[in-house]
Amino acid sequence: MKTPASPFLIGVLLVGCATTQPVSSWQRTGDPIVDGKAAIEHGPKRDRVLWEYRTAVVAMRRGQFAEAKPLLDDALVTLGGIYGPDKDARRARSYFSAEAKKTFIGEPYERVMAYYYRAILYWIDGEVDNARACFRSAQIMDSDAENKTYSSDYVLLDYLDGLATAKMGGDASDALKRAAAEARLSRPPECDPKANVFFFVEFGNGPRKYATGEYAEQLRFLPGNSIVRSVRIRVDNQTLRADPYDDLTFQATTRGGRVMDHILANKAVFKSATDTAGNAAIISGAILAGQQGRHSVADEVGVGLLAAGVVSKIFSAVTTPAADTRAWDNLPQYLSFASIRLPPGTHSVTVEFLDAGGNPLANLTSTVAINVSEPARDTVIFVSDKNQ
Amino acid sequence: MAILTGCASSGVKNPSGIGVTEMRADEKGFVAGTGVESQDLVAVTDKMSRSILDTPQIKSAHNPPVVVLDPVVNETRFPINKDMFLTRIRVLLNSKSFGKVQFLARDRMAALEKERDLKRSGQVTSSSDPNVVEFKGADFFLTGKLQSLTTRNSRGTSDYVLYSFQLVDARTSAIVWEDFAEIKKQGLEDAAYR
Repeated sequence: MKTPASPFLIGVLLVGCATTQPVSSWQRTGDPIVDGKAAIEHGPKRDRVLWEYRTAVVAMRRGQFAEAKPLLDDALVTLGGIYGPDKDARRARSYFSAEAKKTFIGEPYERVMAYYYRAILYWIDGEVDNARACFRSAQIMDSDAENKTYSSDYVLLDYLDGLATAKMGGDASDALKRAAAEARLSRPPECDPKANVFFFVEFGNGPRKYATGEYAEQLRFLPGNSIVRSVRIRVDNQTLRADPYDDLTFQATTRGGRVMDHILANKAVFKSATDTAGNAAIISGAILAGQQGRHSVADEVGVGLLAAGVVSKIFSAVTTPAADTRAWDNLPQYLSFASIRLPPGTHSVTVEFLDAGGNPLANLTSTVAINVSEPARDTVIFVSDKNQ
Repeated sequence: MAILTGCASSGVKNPSGIGVTEMRADEKGFVAGTGVESQDLVAVTDKMSRSILDTPQIKSAHNPPVVVLDPVVNETRFPINKDMFLTRIRVLLNSKSFGKVQFLARDRMAALEKERDLKRSGQVTSSSDPNVVEFKGADFFLTGKLQSLTTRNSRGTSDYVLYSFQLVDARTSAIVWEDFAEIKKQGLEDAAYR
């Protein structure tokens, strides 16, 4: 029977507090930097770092380094201050809240890249010691692998740590030795502290995240891909080759199990158990309640079991074991590096991205003029197959 | 029904925001990491400036020694504006030492040379002979180094930072004063991030 209060209750339901907005509460323009900044400003706070990551790398590929800096700085403040109790993280661990409710800082390979890109920006600004600090922090982000063989095993991070140290007159031998030992794809070039032009090279599409398992509770990675296998750089009459030294898919997939994976597995067990228990209670309750006459003890027990079963099913339904698949989705697959000594002045640089057969991909070849103005300050060129 | 109609802001952390909290620079804030923070800067530079003033070369000097700042070397894993350390030491010494030590504005040399050249060319007035070299040379260099050790495993992250500073005699290269401070911090992020 419809009561007079019903319309009021429906009204209350619909009017709810409007603090939580739909995910997309901003106008998309199609420009990734404008949209990224809008997402940072108006999107959920928990996704702020994710958008800062994505937007910063687009800005760098456009050569808008001043745009990228504050985005990465803000992201790194969150990343560096994530210690201790965190309400969102606690909620993400609870049975009834999804992992994706936590503040996004990314998996270790994503955290590494935030420091890596910031290091490039510091080097561009001539702050080699701060660049080195970022390479070191990046390597620390990769240090907590389950299998220690894969702990802090980025070739370029150690190599660039060594190069920066050598440029500042320090002893780079340990870092360079580690870099050589870690080299799996190819060995980085000889460290030349007197080089003054540096090419930070990246290409391909990085790994993607997806969730699998009965309740999507297991985080997995789709391998990245790249038709580009290396880069050839022609400067004046010299030719440099930048082979891949680090592979982000390798880094994403060798981290091992997360603590959060165990928590999600427990959530999945709870969801499954409460569902099964609910089914059993509802079926048993229905049988008991249906076989006896009204107001019998079995009838009351049956109704009780039915109610318990429904409650158990509700608990099961609201348990959210799904893994967080938010990802820094515009990362490259491979990282590389090259360096050269050039005299002050303007130089023409041609960058060719080579396929597996060593043939240049015509649509990616570009020639730019670089100005080596001060011998005291390095010239840093950021090369990406997604440069715009 | 009352449960179901609850305010949706229960899903939002601090929906009303948090007011600005003014804190002392030497106070540990509620936003903290294991890196170099303002309370470390204050503690380290306070200690160093007190220590420098106790140095016989400064304390017993007949004429205020002239000091030039040489940039601090950052060997830690933390990108920082390292000049802040020497800036704060310089300001503390200038404000508390009552002229016992004098610093040169070497970071302003370009502007100073330009002004001198304007005076020499007669484009601006000069209260003394602009052709006489009056830029002072240094008696001492004040410099420092920041180094760190980091451990990170399933039980958390530990960062130890060693802050060392030196006063180097510009004539002899002798280190006439040296002191250090060390700070170790540890933290463990929520399991949701591990």
